[in-house]
Amino acid sequence: MKVIIVGAGEVGYNIADVLSREGHGVTMIDQDELKLQEIAEKLDVLTVHGSGSSPQVLRKAGLDGADMIIAVTNSDDTNMVACLLASSQSNVGYKVARIRNAELNGTSVIFDKNHLNIDLCINPEREAVKNALNLIEFPGATEIIDFVDGRIKLIGFSVGPDSQVIGKTLRELRLLYPRTKVLVTSIIRKEKILAPTGDTSMQGGDYVFAVSASDELREMLRIYGKSGEALKKVLIMGGGNTGFMLAEALEARGLSTKIIEKRSGRCEDLAAMLEKVTVLHGDGTNQELLQEENIQNTDCFIAVTDDEEANILGALLAKRLGAKKSIALINRVEYMPLVSTVGIDGVINPRHAAVSKILNYIRKGKIVSATPLHDERVEAYEVVALETADITDRPIKDVKFPPGTIVGAIIRREEIMIPDGDSVIRPEDHVIIFTLRSTIPKLEKMLTVKLDYFE
Amino acid sequence: MNFNNVLHILGLFLFFLGLAMIPALVISFYSQGGDLKALAGAFFATSGAGFILAILFEKTEEKISLTRREGFLIVTLAWVAAAAFGGLPFLIYGVTPTFADSFFETMSGFTTTGASVISGLDHLPRGILFWRAFTHWLGGMGIIVLAIAVLPVLGVGGMQLYKAELPSPVKDKISPRVVDTAKLLWGVYVLISLAQFFLLMLGGMNAFDAACHTFATMGTGGFSNYDASIGHFQSLYIEGVIIFFMAVAGMNFALHYRLFTGDFKSFFSDGELRFYLLIILVATAVVTIDLHLNLFYEMGKALRSSLFTVVSIITTTGFVTDNFDQWPLPSRIIILLLMFIGGCAGSTGGAIKCLRILLIIKHSYLEFYRLIHPHAVVVVKLGKQTVPADIMASIRSFFFLYISTAIAATLCMAFLGLDLISAFSAVATTLGNVGPGFGLVNPLSNFFEIPQAGKWILSFCMLLGRLEIFTVLVLFIPDFWKK
Repeated sequence: MKVIIVGAGEVGYNIADVLSREGHGVTMIDQDELKLQEIAEKLDVLTVHGSGSSPQVLRKAGLDGADMIIAVTNSDDTNMVACLLASSQSNVGYKVARIRNAELNGTSVIFDKNHLNIDLCINPEREAVKNALNLIEFPGATEIIDFVDGRIKLIGFSVGPDSQVIGKTLRELRLLYPRTKVLVTSIIRKEKILAPTGDTSMQGGDYVFAVSASDELREMLRIYGKSGEALKKVLIMGGGNTGFMLAEALEARGLSTKIIEKRSGRCEDLAAMLEKVTVLHGDGTNQELLQEENIQNTDCFIAVTDDEEANILGALLAKRLGAKKSIALINRVEYMPLVSTVGIDGVINPRHAAVSKILNYIRKGKIVSATPLHDERVEAYEVVALETADITDRPIKDVKFPPGTIVGAIIRREEIMIPDGDSVIRPEDHVIIFTLRSTIPKLEKMLTVKLDYFE
Repeated sequence: MNFNNVLHILGLFLFFLGLAMIPALVISFYSQGGDLKALAGAFFATSGAGFILAILFEKTEEKISLTRREGFLIVTLAWVAAAAFGGLPFLIYGVTPTFADSFFETMSGFTTTGASVISGLDHLPRGILFWRAFTHWLGGMGIIVLAIAVLPVLGVGGMQLYKAELPSPVKDKISPRVVDTAKLLWGVYVLISLAQFFLLMLGGMNAFDAACHTFATMGTGGFSNYDASIGHFQSLYIEGVIIFFMAVAGMNFALHYRLFTGDFKSFFSDGELRFYLLIILVATAVVTIDLHLNLFYEMGKALRSSLFTVVSIITTTGFVTDNFDQWPLPSRIIILLLMFIGGCAGSTGGAIKCLRILLIIKHSYLEFYRLIHPHAVVVVKLGKQTVPADIMASIRSFFFLYISTAIAATLCMAFLGLDLISAFSAVATTLGNVGPGFGLVNPLSNFFEIPQAGKWILSFCMLLGRLEIFTVLVLFIPDFWKK
């Protein structure tokens, strides 16, 4: 597949990385020549210097033969024009645009076939808000990802120091708690990813990825020593787009919410737009302000400014001052492993969310949803099992998966099954599969290879 | 530096090189020339050594991703190994008496130089001759690039190797992925080679000679199956076909690819290509007149001789139809200059390359312009593209290094007892991957008389010239090895 990516920022870079490694032909357009040089050094892609809204530049990038365009610059206008050019000047099959304007979303009329004709709009801020809401609902988790429309959740959390599971093997746990449908899919111990087996025993400080049905998540987190109460009082630091959307959503859920914003003008706007939320003017990293606002009784502090270092500092400070839980918005993957070690409870990563949504879209068809996890070395897939695929109609233990691959859940109509080695995947089942990024092409082949035969 | 991966890839490469000897092996089997043992021995030694190396040093990751440094190291080591192992058929068969000779001959083959230490070619068995020509063809488009196209395990790492083997002053990836780029380039190369093969057959050459001379032409190498080179055939048609395909091989293959895709405009509007054709035109005209006036050639013969020689030298092929060492001084100086100019960037030719010469001329002109208009903001342009200052800087350094290398190597050759003309032209012709020179190494003689040490120096010059200096010399910078 030939893909043009407009915008070599964090989102563009990460998508280019994944796609080029999977063997697609990627061309990147950006106006920053230095950034392009750096990318040409690191990735096997073609780079074109220029504006993504220029027809000439797009043609030079091979618009005529392209199958997909992904416009992810910081400017909505550029992204929309790039997609418009892709459908008017050429016949590009798939168009993805990053649209930050909160007034527009995927269902807006201007994106439909008769107007801009954009197939997928992503809004990293909106994804981040979804993410944050999940974390607020399940305070024990560090990361939460929805599958099957939210009925199954994949959560990442570190095992509590006084959890009752420490020292027990996964097999014992299954016997101890037979009613909770949980599958531990990967354990990260000392920065290394382990693919757990029944004999793997839990240790304090392990970072665990597990799949569970939504209604049993609370119970599971309790077993693993993570408190399960929902939060009531939330303090948001940063009143930008993300902060505003988050406050609006929390307000709608009836949580007591405060929002701190530096710019006084923006504060006035927020106050006008929000009904019950308390808008505070000030710096979220100011200790006095936090104490004044009763930080020690706050259930959750969420820092969502544009400055990720400030977010980390704010979250740390709030935690020290007594906030029960602190969450920071972070864009750089390098910071992710740092965060849990310094004591921040949760991370929302808009870029990550945007990348996973785009990947998810690209792998559409047989794969419903794909999500990169932890340092992006692991990916979770939601796939629809095809009659012709190698994985169906035999016990899972007989399927020859690439190493490190685990089947996390099987969903058959309304029923959710957490599988063991004897479970059988039937055609039309939704299956959640975890795998290492390096084995993805192999796995994708397994899932679809026989299909070509009949088409 | 991950030496495991470096040696693993080197092993794979050697194994692959061994496989490349199979066609020669087959030909030797059917032609019964007595060289089967030599080729079989070389085949087993090369692929065996590669196999053992690849197994001994296991790669540390599924898809190897290389750093730039590893890229430089692998490419240089691979070329040295190719010359060492690729020379085994000659050494075992005995056509080259010492290892230095076989190394020189094979380095000359892979770097598409065409400088030989072997005489009495007309009586050599076919397997040996085929392998000798085949090294030209493999080396022309790049042995590593071929490996990238066919060895999927190189994966992402291929990019670093590609950049180290085909350094180009400007970007010319024709497809987003390096694997696809490598495949397309080799595809174009194979197609053009087939065309030449059939045209040569039409001219009455037998299939074996046609294949060998196609390899030597398309790689811009210059090994012939005969001591008299192309002069052996005494055919205007064959000379015409070879002139045309030498000229084609000296052009940028990315442009050929564009031509195949129907993009005639970018082919004929290419600044470098026009410059290249202009040099050929002017040089041919001057040499023709010189030969006519001073050597009393009639016009037709003068044109035929000079066009063939000019194209053969500027593309760095090195085929000969006429002993240009006997030509008048003006013509000889032009030939010597052409050895430094070389073909287009992205071609199979060597030397400094037309693109660099063109940009340096433009740059120098702008210096004058700046003297007249001190406040003018000027940039070097190629077509409509601006050439960034850092690329200009690296072209100037390249130019400097190329000339310094030539001078240093000439000095070494002088110490070994060569006269100035022989020493300088031997260095110019090997550094530029041309083949024949003047004096001791004139087109009718060869490099056998050069002392052993001189053969090593000239082999090194060929390697430097083929990998465009930086890739090899960077290994001698202490910082390269620091952790």
